[in-house]
Amino acid sequence: MSKLTATRLQTPPVPVPRQPPKKPLLKRLASGGFIAALPFLAPALAAYVVFVIGPMVSAVRLSLYEWSGFNTDPQVFVGFQNYVRLFTQDAVFWTALQNTVIWVLLSLVIPTTLGLVMALSLNRPIFGRNLFRSVFYIPGVLAPIAIANMWRWMYNPNYGVFSELAKAWHLGDGSGVTFLSDPKVAIYAIFAAFVWQIAGLNMVLFLAGLQSVSKELVESARLDGANNWKVFRHVTFPALRPTIVVVMVLTIVHSIKVFDLVVGMTGGGPAQSSQVLALWSYSQSFLQHDFGMGNAIATVLLAITLVLVIPYLIWSTKGNED
Amino acid sequence: MRLLAKGAVALTAIAVLAGCSAGSGSNASGKTQLDWWVINPSSPTAAKAQDKIIQDFEASNPDITVKKTNRAVDAHKDALRTAIGTSAAPDIYDFWAGPGLGGELVKNNASIDLSSQYTEYKWESRFTEAALEPVKQYGGFHGVPWKLNGEAMYYNKALFEQAGIAKLPTTMDELNDAAAKLKNAGITPIQFGGTVNWHVMRLLDTFLEGYCGAETFDKLVTNQANWGQEECVTESFTNLQKWSKDYFNPGFIGINNDESSALFFSGKAAMALEGDWFNSQIKDKAKVEDFGVFPLPTGTGRMYGFEQAMYVTKDSKNADAAAKFLDFMMSTPVQKETLGTFSTQSVNKEVKPTETDELSTSWAGIFANAKGLYMNNDQNLSQSQTTEYWRIQNLVATGGLDPAKAGAELQKFLDTSK
Repeated sequence: MSKLTATRLQTPPVPVPRQPPKKPLLKRLASGGFIAALPFLAPALAAYVVFVIGPMVSAVRLSLYEWSGFNTDPQVFVGFQNYVRLFTQDAVFWTALQNTVIWVLLSLVIPTTLGLVMALSLNRPIFGRNLFRSVFYIPGVLAPIAIANMWRWMYNPNYGVFSELAKAWHLGDGSGVTFLSDPKVAIYAIFAAFVWQIAGLNMVLFLAGLQSVSKELVESARLDGANNWKVFRHVTFPALRPTIVVVMVLTIVHSIKVFDLVVGMTGGGPAQSSQVLALWSYSQSFLQHDFGMGNAIATVLLAITLVLVIPYLIWSTKGNED
Repeated sequence: MRLLAKGAVALTAIAVLAGCSAGSGSNASGKTQLDWWVINPSSPTAAKAQDKIIQDFEASNPDITVKKTNRAVDAHKDALRTAIGTSAAPDIYDFWAGPGLGGELVKNNASIDLSSQYTEYKWESRFTEAALEPVKQYGGFHGVPWKLNGEAMYYNKALFEQAGIAKLPTTMDELNDAAAKLKNAGITPIQFGGTVNWHVMRLLDTFLEGYCGAETFDKLVTNQANWGQEECVTESFTNLQKWSKDYFNPGFIGINNDESSALFFSGKAAMALEGDWFNSQIKDKAKVEDFGVFPLPTGTGRMYGFEQAMYVTKDSKNADAAAKFLDFMMSTPVQKETLGTFSTQSVNKEVKPTETDELSTSWAGIFANAKGLYMNNDQNLSQSQTTEYWRIQNLVATGGLDPAKAGAELQKFLDTSK
């Protein structure tokens, strides 16, 4: 018998604490203060059920029906037929799904990194820091449709900024600047406007996060001989982790529901090449009068959003409980 | 407590008053109130003309008031969709008469058959045959003709002369030759704005009518012919690809029709495929004498165009007053007064064009010589079919789809859509 085993054998058994008998659910809720809080929660809860849960359930229900949207037209139950049509016959759906996925992935990299870099740069005591912060943040408060109009004009092949720059640099007559006209480029041209809009917002979130980085830890790291990169890698970045998660989740949510910029800049064209799920859902319901298909797409979008956001919700709830 | 009681009384009073005004069809003074939903007029002059029609009607019918609601095209469509079948529906609504748009509302029981009103007001003898055809297509009379618009090819005289085009095209081949001559002269032959898909669609519709002929065109748009098996469909898509590549303004797909029209007004593009409403835009933005218009040389003799009609809703409690208002609006004096404001031609056969300038004279000839009408395909096809038609059109126009496969691609969708 080894020493270790002997020690283990000699160790007196640790008494297992007795679990208190489980209280009935109602008593547990009462002791947790839930019932007392209920009258105060009720108005918000009712509004949430009516304005959030209700429409969600209604959208899922309508996805199982065929309906033109007219009150005079009866809703006909068709089961999963709309989903079958969506996945097997709708060529635009797959383009829209692909574009949405590309958009989410690019959003997680480009505006997030850009926001972080801007925040790190403007977290130092440099001249005009507040002015730069404001300038970078302003696009985030503009209406997306106004941004779309502005960028559409910038891309205009006849009068746009890029066309004029091409002329000024003797790169032709400017008519070759066709970012929104090229089916392979259009979605990325719209994405550029999105980056311009959202990077400043990310910067503000990161700046807020940077204020929680312990100055003492940074100072100690420097005294230990850490260079800028090492300070960032081992002190700043770990402290920024909660902020990074928030930025990521917000970026995902913003990306999945992107609509206004696409409507304003291409309307999903040319030839549906820049179509995204949110806009395709709207088009099916309100332009093509097929509410069943429109809601089937909305349900798919809801499922994707939940898959991406629920892990964050679980993580943040755990954080609160801890 | 007293405050609460007062509040309750006030709320009850408001609710009662609201109940009286909603859906009763009468206003506070006991007059019949007609709700008229109409698409935004194309110019301030047209808006004033609508207001004057209401004023004059109310003056001669003191027991009726008309409440006009203007909306942009898409907002108008959305508002109708949600209101039809409810007490919020108007008494009269303005809509396109083609089966893909107005027809869908008729199919959904949005409007009433006005046969008895047609007899009472002798409307059948008042309107031109071309104007009556679209409102009779669903059986009975759904809607009263309001505007019959034609579309044709506007051209810049100086640019045509510069390119050596002495004779206006009368065949599809001559039209292709004219475009080639313009390009060779360093001129952009035609302007289009691609973000609004219906602009480029006009050219594709024209090629289909020209290469397929009237009979096959009609069979194609009513799903009686196979788009994948008609050689003329491939020919049309092939020509569309050639035109978009060689003859359209560069970057057309990324701009809208207003932006592209600016190229025409400023002499940077030689042709514009537009409707007769374009006359007033030319008058506002350029010199009328610099431009001409010729019919689309499809060889079928049919005019390209569409009609807008005024429909009376099924749930209207004021159908008689609505008919009275529409009778006034389409009467000879009102139509004479407003001719040229909403369209160059009147739907009323007693009202002849004024022919004040060369463009108007040309339009009078186009309407007079038309042997029927072929409508824009966004009016012929259902909304979902139209969306697919536009997708394929734009794919071909931007080089993303082989024209030889375009017809079959569209047919595949038509076979599975409702």
